[in-house]
Amino acid sequence: MPRPTEKLVSLTIDGNEVQAPAGMMLADAALKYGDVEIPVFCYDAKIGPPVGACRMCLVEVEGIPKLQAGCSVAVTDGMVVHTDTPTVKAAQEAVLEFILINHPLDCPVCDKGGECPLQDNAFGWGGGLSRFIEPKRHFEKPLALSPLIAIDRERCILCYRCVRYSQEVAEDDQLVLEERGADTFVTTFDGHPYVAPFSGNIVELCPVGALTSRPYRFRARPWDIEQAGSVCTLCPAQCNVSFSVRDERVLRVLGRDHEGVDDGWLCDKGRFAYQAIHVDQRITEPLMRDGGELRPVTWELAIETAAKLLSHAGAKTGALVGGETTNEEGLLLTHLVREALGSNDIDSRPGGALELELLRALNAPTLQASVPDLQYAHAVLLLDCEPVDDAPILDLRLRKGVRHHGVKLLIASSRPSALDERAAHSARFAPGCGEAFAAALGAALAGKPSASLAQAAGADADDVAALAAQLREAGEEVVILWGERLTAGPRRNEGARALLNLADELGLDGRDGGGLLEIPSGTNSRGLRELGVLPNASIGLGDAPTVGRDSQQIGEALAAGDLSALILLHSDPLLDQPSSELWQRALGKASTVIAHAAFLTPAVLEHANIVFPAESYAEKEGTVVHPDSRVQRLRRSIARQGETRAEWALLAELAALLGNDPKALTCSMVSARIFDQVPFYNGLSLDLLGGVGIRWSERQAAASFPGAPSAPFTLDPPPAASSPNGLLRLGSFRSIWASPEVEASPALAFLHPRQRVEISPADAERLGISNGEIVTVASNGDSVNGLAQIRANAPVGTVFLQSSIPQQSAALLGGPMVEVKRA
Amino acid sequence: MAWDPEKDVIEVVRGPQKAGGAGGLYRAFGETLRGLKTTFGQLRMGVDTIQYPEQKIPVYPRFRGRHQLHRFEDSGLEKCVGCSLCAAACPADCIRVVAAENTPEHRVSAGERYAAVYEINLSRCIFCGYCEIACPFDAITMGHEYELSDANRSDLIFTKEMLLAEPIERTPLRAEGE
Repeated sequence: MPRPTEKLVSLTIDGNEVQAPAGMMLADAALKYGDVEIPVFCYDAKIGPPVGACRMCLVEVEGIPKLQAGCSVAVTDGMVVHTDTPTVKAAQEAVLEFILINHPLDCPVCDKGGECPLQDNAFGWGGGLSRFIEPKRHFEKPLALSPLIAIDRERCILCYRCVRYSQEVAEDDQLVLEERGADTFVTTFDGHPYVAPFSGNIVELCPVGALTSRPYRFRARPWDIEQAGSVCTLCPAQCNVSFSVRDERVLRVLGRDHEGVDDGWLCDKGRFAYQAIHVDQRITEPLMRDGGELRPVTWELAIETAAKLLSHAGAKTGALVGGETTNEEGLLLTHLVREALGSNDIDSRPGGALELELLRALNAPTLQASVPDLQYAHAVLLLDCEPVDDAPILDLRLRKGVRHHGVKLLIASSRPSALDERAAHSARFAPGCGEAFAAALGAALAGKPSASLAQAAGADADDVAALAAQLREAGEEVVILWGERLTAGPRRNEGARALLNLADELGLDGRDGGGLLEIPSGTNSRGLRELGVLPNASIGLGDAPTVGRDSQQIGEALAAGDLSALILLHSDPLLDQPSSELWQRALGKASTVIAHAAFLTPAVLEHANIVFPAESYAEKEGTVVHPDSRVQRLRRSIARQGETRAEWALLAELAALLGNDPKALTCSMVSARIFDQVPFYNGLSLDLLGGVGIRWSERQAAASFPGAPSAPFTLDPPPAASSPNGLLRLGSFRSIWASPEVEASPALAFLHPRQRVEISPADAERLGISNGEIVTVASNGDSVNGLAQIRANAPVGTVFLQSSIPQQSAALLGGPMVEVKRA
Repeated sequence: MAWDPEKDVIEVVRGPQKAGGAGGLYRAFGETLRGLKTTFGQLRMGVDTIQYPEQKIPVYPRFRGRHQLHRFEDSGLEKCVGCSLCAAACPADCIRVVAAENTPEHRVSAGERYAAVYEINLSRCIFCGYCEIACPFDAITMGHEYELSDANRSDLIFTKEMLLAEPIERTPLRAEGE
């Protein structure tokens, strides 16, 4: 459903005539256009339609004899509203007196005290006196609603916000209200802990102190802290956050509502993984390997030794760049590797390079969909991605689109998706066969025979036809949300071509409200690519003078001895790269490994010679690029912990020691250089980016994006998916919780994934596996243990394992076929 | 309106231009003698000097001296729950509170939380008493002690233990009607 067109109506609020869009709720319109605050508790536009549970927002509307709830009355033309008459005042005082009947007034010990809407409303609109002398209701308190959230039911004013959030926004259906009347209380249905990927949002939603964050419990009062706005770089969704800082420590992360990015929500990883900034495991001083063990050394020694080792290796240096790298660090690293060391072996994409032409075509500004498009499009096709794991906040956006805007959600993935039940149609294909599926879908849309392609993808031909029919009927505005793994396998170029053909078939190029939206594997993957942190591209996706080795080839060259040194910038090949066997060999053979890391992940712990402490995202400054081309700014929110230094400065210093000074004195100088050198960023500045960022694809300068070949491309027939004969196909996925930050955060540690083996009920029955038992997955002599998890809509013949976890990772298995048996 | 200089003219009244005669003699000695009368008159009044520090002036009951934190007399638990309202009220920003949660094994205060850190920087305090007014539990009061000088600034940061302890040297309190 396309974006609603705004029709203005005029109404009178407290004697002033104002214009507001028709259909807007009175409480919103009064605040936004009339500068009149109507107090509310239960209403928040982002939770969805109002329920009018608290009656705080009563106002007088002329022509209606009784008072009306301002949150549930839509503005109409000629409406006359009074919010400060004696009747309204009496009603507000009465409602507040009623709400406060059971409220314990333990504000001094309540974490919400000082930022509490109930306090504010009682102060602003309350009568100040209560006639209620009877005992208040009592509950046991505080109780743990989950390991992350504490619930105090005495403070609850029964506004339904959390329950509505759970049922209508996150759609996890876990929170309910039990009992009736004065006995009502919020709980999970059967009393189990409320564990969900987005559970933390209810803490921010609660208008009283009934739901509080346990990690933040009693840490600070609102006047003790300062809010520092920045961007969360823990996943590609790049939600806008605000750090609550006290004594140079991040104590809490709050959402910073940005309709174009996160819609005001955060996932639990973004909300609670800040704890990893202040843990002892974090590396906060330079380490050097001495006698087989990493020991702390001085910065001077570490930098000198690193420069010496790098100048020794010279052009035989490779570099892997992780997704958390900012644009500035990316630019200075390319300078270090290309100019100072004379090597071209630098890559920020796991799994191998994509042809530059295809990369340009996929990133073309006219083909980019924005995040809000997901909510308003006619149809959204998820192609080989799982939003809740890859970019969690998009999951909520898609649910909102389906629920409130009638978006037709179509899913094509190998692994069952959390969104399956909201989808108009979902199709499964064999792991790694996204390319063949995209080709089949493209063929079906074009009316060409697609059955053989569908078979090659390990998919059902009827599914492909059904998806094609749905896509054709849906309407013009179609967004394809695709995961980077579609273009990461051995047939990555074909995957990109198939995707571009599909977009061409749907006519997405240049279409408003539709297009492609990629979920890359790393947070700032898009920015790094556009800066030419690739073996085959220069800055601004220009042609590289010399094509270097991609990540796969760097691994092979290290193993073969053609490269001797490796720089790991926020990257751990044993976690990020598809084959850990290759990288074990490569790292074992490398004579120099210089890592910039915050945690001792496997490759760093075992193989790094020098480890420089990485800044956390709250300490960084710089810019990152959102997958929908929004350039966003990171601001330093706290002092760098321990001995940590600015990484951009370190990279600049290393290059200078190697005889090629990039002359970068401040980080903003590097940002300015980026905006100057990348043609399609031209004219941007840090001031322009401000707190909300700018989509470069919407600016004039986007016209200077390098040209790309246009679809349709002719496709190679894909090889047939391996057929499961007794064995099972191996698919892998990276869980939202698989990150060192989650593992290091005390509050989130219980979520850090252990290997689980997702298997279909049919396969489980055939192999005699029951839910929750330990199974062994083996291939070519390698084996991995994990807990069996039977998923109802998992495809038969395929088993899914997690990658990117330190132990028992799917990357240990070669595949593509594995044997699963009870351990 | 244009400025009219006439309005701003100040008339200066001067004394007689020429000294001499009886008036001149009075002006020379009479006024001096009048002043000396006040001086010698004070000799009769006796000595009012207090021999501080041996002697001290008793303070009024509402005198705002150094702060004190209090415990419940029956249970011995601290009254302070670490709510930070004193820190919010403090105009000199000299109070720092870091709260923590009581556990059944380790109960410090009567409420859910207690002040793990409670510090007042007395070199900054202006003794306005807002903290006492803000405190919802009467946990902090302004005491009577005013002898707070120290050789070291950092020694003037009073910790919770120091504020909870009874002041060693008590200042005399003014009796009723004194």
